[in-house]
This record gives sequence, structure tokens and C-alpha cells, in this order.
Amino acid sequence: MTEDNFEEFLKKAAQSYNAPPARTPRDDMWSAIQAQRAAGPRVIYGGGSLAAQTPARRFGSRIWIGAAAAAILLLATGVGLGRWSARANTASAIAAVGGSKSGASNVAAGETQTVPGGSETVAGPQTGGGGREPSPPREQSRTGGVRRPGALDGTEGMVAVTAPSNSTSSPTGNSAYQLTTVRHLSEAEALLTSFRTRTTADQQMDAQLGSWARQLLSNTRLLLDSPVAKDPQRRPLLEDLELVLVQIVQLSPGSTPQDREMIEKTLQQDHVMTRLRTAIPAGSQRGS
Amino acid sequence: MNDTQLITRVVAGDAAAERELYEMYVDRIYRLAFRLAGDDELARDFTQATFIRAFEKIGSFRGESSLSTWLHSIGVSVALNGLRKTKRQRSREAPMEEGLTVGSTRIEADPDLKERLARAIDSLADKYRTVFVMHDVEGYTHEEISGTLNIPIGTSKSHLFQARSKLRVALADFAPEWVS
Repeated sequence: MTEDNFEEFLKKAAQSYNAPPARTPRDDMWSAIQAQRAAGPRVIYGGGSLAAQTPARRFGSRIWIGAAAAAILLLATGVGLGRWSARANTASAIAAVGGSKSGASNVAAGETQTVPGGSETVAGPQTGGGGREPSPPREQSRTGGVRRPGALDGTEGMVAVTAPSNSTSSPTGNSAYQLTTVRHLSEAEALLTSFRTRTTADQQMDAQLGSWARQLLSNTRLLLDSPVAKDPQRRPLLEDLELVLVQIVQLSPGSTPQDREMIEKTLQQDHVMTRLRTAIPAGSQRGS
Repeated sequence: MNDTQLITRVVAGDAAAERELYEMYVDRIYRLAFRLAGDDELARDFTQATFIRAFEKIGSFRGESSLSTWLHSIGVSVALNGLRKTKRQRSREAPMEEGLTVGSTRIEADPDLKERLARAIDSLADKYRTVFVMHDVEGYTHEEISGTLNIPIGTSKSHLFQARSKLRVALADFAPEWVS
């Protein structure tokens, strides 16, 4: 009973809670609805009027459209860059293949010429016979005689060096030259060590060393004409090595001990052995 | 003309049908909005937003509930969201604890029953207040409330019970009035 009375009491009393006006402002609201629908605005609650605002949905749509456009632009840029770089790589690879083939044919033909792309071929069987003329004054001051480059005809084990004009800026090219140089210097060190430790009366050993020195002399001259010679530390070493090798090659089976002492003196004065060992990086294979 | 025919015409863009639909439901929507908002400007805004949204979405109305329930569902959602967003609750809004404290010292605190009741109702949680307003103030049935708020009928009854219990405590000082 008490509960029912409370409900009735509550319903009656609650009628006064937020009591709306007796008359609904129909026309006013309808006009506002029509105006808002015509303008496409958004309701701002509590303003008493319908202020125009950009609908959130439209804003979101613009964001998505913008994001999609940006994504398409980014994708197109990436595809374009990819195609461009692939085309450039292909072109350079074709040029490299063409250049190497041309250089190889030039080496085989024993020619020295400039190939398209700036590659200079400085190898060939005639290298020792005129491909390069060492400076006579230096040789005369070292040996006291006239050097005979044309007397060297050995081509066995010759290194074919293709030297692009701008190869010094190429890491790959530099690595190849450095590797070749190190191997050459190691072999030269082995030769000189064998020469210094040989017995004086062993003519057979002299002949073998002469042949070995001739081969190394050719490679030394090739390296002197390569970008390796641009190194201010390597070029003097190669030049001194060339001088020593020439002396060894010129040793005849009937050479006197004075001839050998002259070579030994050159080695000591110029510290060739020490410089050779310094130029060879630690851990590299020596004498190979 | 039944709801289906009216909806068909509205979807087809018939302006007269739109106005007819508006006239059919605007009073109840506006009254409910006013009850929940307690402010004429807010009630107008809520009502207008309700019909604008209804006209926009009426094409997706599938008839799973009555048109009245669907409209009221939009109206209550608009009103509650609007009240939360604008935070323009009336100044008399006060926590329930304050009402209880005041109720314990009836004469000194607030002798006006209407004011005390309004504070107590305002301090109810939205889910209790909405059900209470719709059922005890505006006379909606639990079935209508259930459809409008998308809650089970039992939940509607439970919410009403909770609301009444809290209000009974808040209005304990006025017990002689309903006992008599």
C-alpha cells in the first residue's frame, strides 16, 4: 500500500520535472530543419540555432581522399624511380660488358688503344717491346748503363690491365687493382728473398730466377701504367722493383760476383725488401 | 496512411510526406527531449537533429520496429549524446549523496518538494533517469522503452525500480505526504 502510494505520489510530483511548454514550437523547428537540410550543416546543441559546420563525415571523406591520393602519388613515384634506376643499371651493365669485350679483343690483338667509355687498354705482348719506354736518365743513374726494354719478350703470366680513365673513383676497380698489386708485390718479395739466399755457384737457380724475374718485370711495367702508379707510395716502389728485376734478368749465367753485389747494393740502398713487406698487408698470401 | 506507406513516400522524396511524418511525432519527441534536457533551446536542437537524422537514414529503416520506436531511439540517442557533449546540465544538478544529505535535514535544507525531486532525478544515472522519465513522467510502456533503448524489458523494469528506490531515499523526508 505504501509502495503504491509512493509510486502515485512520485508520478504526480515528477510531472513538474522539466515540464515542457504546452505548445510545441512545430513551425519554428520545421523551418530550422528545412534550412539545415538545405545547407547541409551540423547541429550545435545549446546554441538555439543551427549553425553551419562541416559534417564530420565529409571531413573524414576528404581525409580519406587525400590519403588515397598521397598513397597513389607515393606509389607512382616509387615505380618511376624503380624503372628509372633499373634502366640506368641495365645501360651501364651493357656498356660494361661491351667495354670488357672490346678490351679483351684489344688485348688479344696486342693493341693499345682507347675504347669507348674512356677505358684505356695498356696491355699486350708488345708491352715490353715498346708499349712503355722507361725514363733513360733514371735507369742510367741506377745501373750505369742503357736499359734494353726491347730485349724482354716474355709474355707468360702477363697481367692484362684495363684502366678506365675514371676508375680511381670506382671501388670495384680500386679493389681489383689493389688485389693485383698486393699479389704482385708478394711474388716479387718471394723472388728477391730467393735471390738473396741462393748459392753463388748455382747457375741453374740463376736461370730460373731470371725467368721468374722477367715475368715479374712485365707485370711491374703493366702496373706502372695502371692507376696503381698514381699512388705516390706505390709508384716509387714499383719503379725501384722494376730496376732490380731488370738487373736480375740481365744476369747472365757467367755473371761475376760484382754483378750480384750491385743488385744487393741496390736492394739495400733503396730498402726495397723493407718497403715491399710494408706494402703487403698483413695476412695476405705472400709468394703466391 | 500507415507507416510503411509514409516511409515509402518519404524515401521517394515527397516533401509533404516528410512534413506529415514530422507532425505525427514531433510532439512526443520534443516533450521527451525537453524532459531530458530541461532546456527549450536544447530540446529544440535535439528534436531538429532527430528529424534530420531520421530523414537521412529513413532509407535504411527495415521495419524491424515501429516507426515511433525507431524515431524515439534516435531522439534519445541524440539527446543523451548532446547532453554529454555540451555538458550543459542544469545548475541544479547535484550528486545523489548531496540529495541524501539534504534529505536528512529536511526543513533546514530544502523544503520545496519539486526542487528536491528535480535534484534527485538529475542526480540519477542516465540509464535510470531515462527510464524513469519515459515511464513515470511521459507514460511510455516498458515495451516502448525496451525498443527505444534497445534493452530487454526486464532491464527496463529493473532500471525503473532502481530509480524509484533512489528517489524514495532522497525524498524520505516527504514520506508523510505519500503515506497519508
